[in-house]
Amino acid sequence: MSRLEEERKPFHIKILDRIRASKLLKIIVLLAPASIFLAIFFFSPFIIALMYSFNMFKQVVYTYVFVPRISLEYYIRLLDFPGIFVTMQRSFYYAIVTVILTLLLSYPAAYYIGFKLDPKYKSTAVLLFIIPFWVNFLLRTYSMKFVLHDEGLVNTLLMTLGLIKEPIRFLGTDLAVIIVMAYDYMFLMFLPLYGVLEKLDKELLEAAATLGASPYKTFLKVTLPLSSPGIIAGSLLVFIPAVGEFIIPMLVGGVNTTTLGTLIYSFFITVRGEAGWGIGSAAGLIYIIFIMVLSYLYIKLVGAEVQFG
Amino acid sequence: MIKYSVELENITKRFGQVVAVNNVSLRIKENEFFSLLGPSGCGKTTTLRIIAGLEKPDTGVVKLHGQDVTYIPTHKRNIGMVFQHLALFPHMDVYENIAFGLRMRGFSDNDISRRVKRMLEVVRLPGFERRKINQLSGGQQQRVALARALVMEPEVLLLDEPLGALDLKIRQEMMVELKRIQREVGTTFVYVTHDQNEAMVMSDRIAVMNEGVIQQVDSPDTIYMRPKNIFVASFIGEQINFIEGVYKGNQEFEAKGGMVLRVSDNPDAINKKSVIAIRPERIMIGDKAPPRGMNSVEGRVEMMVFKGSSIEYRISANISDEIIVFVPNISPTMKMYKIGEKVYLTWDPEAGIVLPFESKPAEPRKIG
Ligand SMILES: Nc1ncnc2c1ncn2[C@@H]1O[C@H](COP(=O)(O)OP(=O)(O)OP(=O)(O)O)[C@@H](O)[C@H]1O
Ligand SMILES: [Mg+2]
Repeated sequence: MSRLEEERKPFHIKILDRIRASKLLKIIVLLAPASIFLAIFFFSPFIIALMYSFNMFKQVVYTYVFVPRISLEYYIRLLDFPGIFVTMQRSFYYAIVTVILTLLLSYPAAYYIGFKLDPKYKSTAVLLFIIPFWVNFLLRTYSMKFVLHDEGLVNTLLMTLGLIKEPIRFLGTDLAVIIVMAYDYMFLMFLPLYGVLEKLDKELLEAAATLGASPYKTFLKVTLPLSSPGIIAGSLLVFIPAVGEFIIPMLVGGVNTTTLGTLIYSFFITVRGEAGWGIGSAAGLIYIIFIMVLSYLYIKLVGAEVQFG
Repeated sequence: MIKYSVELENITKRFGQVVAVNNVSLRIKENEFFSLLGPSGCGKTTTLRIIAGLEKPDTGVVKLHGQDVTYIPTHKRNIGMVFQHLALFPHMDVYENIAFGLRMRGFSDNDISRRVKRMLEVVRLPGFERRKINQLSGGQQQRVALARALVMEPEVLLLDEPLGALDLKIRQEMMVELKRIQREVGTTFVYVTHDQNEAMVMSDRIAVMNEGVIQQVDSPDTIYMRPKNIFVASFIGEQINFIEGVYKGNQEFEAKGGMVLRVSDNPDAINKKSVIAIRPERIMIGDKAPPRGMNSVEGRVEMMVFKGSSIEYRISANISDEIIVFVPNISPTMKMYKIGEKVYLTWDPEAGIVLPFESKPAEPRKIG
């Protein structure tokens, strides 16, 4: 457009052009709602928890007053807490096993539905697969108590089949927590896996075959590396809530299944008060840092694998 | 003795109600550039996929180098394939894409690196080893796909409309390249396309296909000058004229109005309802009646289009409402006829090809 035409434009059009051209304005309009939302509901409680963990609030009768100090007292008390390292280790272990289990369960199903199934049945199959997750999380988890009970469905079935004589003790054990976590979180693994596998270009597999790759080699060299974005996304989606899980260990676990999540829960709800909130906040922050570091390492490692694998 | 790279014997393949490939038999010679040409949906890709083993035929036998491979899976057939959408591995760079097949066959790293390097020279992409696939232009991706297939030194290279996604200029360059590469590596090429120009330029022989059936297999010039049926005649070339009538034998054809035209002989059509096909560039136009012995028809100019290198006329005459004539633009003083002018059309007897009449000839769909 020539300069002259530019000059002749009506004033309001010029203003509109300016607005359209403004990058800053776009950023504000598009990002502001979510950012403000997160600022209010995530960032401010996060800062407050940070302040609690550094003992920056003092309880005066029923209210807390800000005191300008930084003390590591609650962190030290947390690390002195009996069994804290075992608890952290256990949370990590539950989460890792859950990730592996959900991956092993979901991958073949996502592969079959995304790849082999007649396209017209795909959405129905996906729907059927995730129907259990329409049920409220608490109900779904609580019902597992009946399934895993000494006289529950699983034990009755195994005994009727004559595979066991005595009922297996599930409730209160690591196994129960892991089974239920895998069940509860499986859809978080399944959906991203299905997403990548469904989109994966089948011609690539045929191309591999024309280059002499057996179906097994094709899977290893083409399908698997190309589905790794789904594996990464699914793993993180399962790992993050799993490592902080507190309801499942409380409902189907017992005294030996304490996790970081249940610990934080008990500091805030059972211990309460200045110390409870302080130590709880300290645990929460350690938990966040823990997740950030692990996720970062994971993406780095597996991401690199994807690039060059 | 002629050696055949690919032999298809009575291959039929259905998808539900659709007969994608209908009783196709083909023999493709060693080191031949062979094209499968036909309109969209005529079964070219399916035929190619059957040769590759990516599709199982319902009936028939597939042979590669004389050996029955009908039940041999793709990865055990010694074929290479260039896919319509290239199907390059997005998670690998150029080098790894080309090396993929060699790795599958267990070549040593040294061997692989040497062969990949040489192949990149053949397709004129030296130094592109570490490029990512999405950092290449369409034409370069094309070459990588070709290199990836060729590096395996397959006995047969199957190509499915590999130039389809490219624009005209690169396409023309790539046609020349493909032909050069084919000569250089000396491999049988089976080339699928719906673009007659591509097929004409590169092929030793062309199989014209329609609705799953092979219509004609011949060299490009024979296909153009001696089509065997109405479909081939109208699918190949820019335009063609058809005149209905009866072939009387002895090179005489009685057109609809009773006029007798001299044509090239077709013993199969004697005393049968027939059609003669005449290419527009074979007809000459003049304002005086030509000497006897030539075909001559009087007509009226209905339309005239100046096309640069030629002039296109549409002439109405008693044997046909519309006869298309292309006159090459050979001189600035050339006479041009105006609409409504009376003209005489003349052509050689052998320019009129007698074809069997078809009540409802399959409508060729032309694309590109
Ligand atoms: N997997 C399939 N399932 C059902 N029908 C199919 C399948 N593959 C091909 N067809 C049908 O078979 C016929 C031939 O298809 P094919 O892909 O071989 O055509 P084509 O000649 O390669 O066409 P184009 O030039 O458009 O690529 C078409 O009618 C097509 O719809
Ligand atoms: Mg096709």
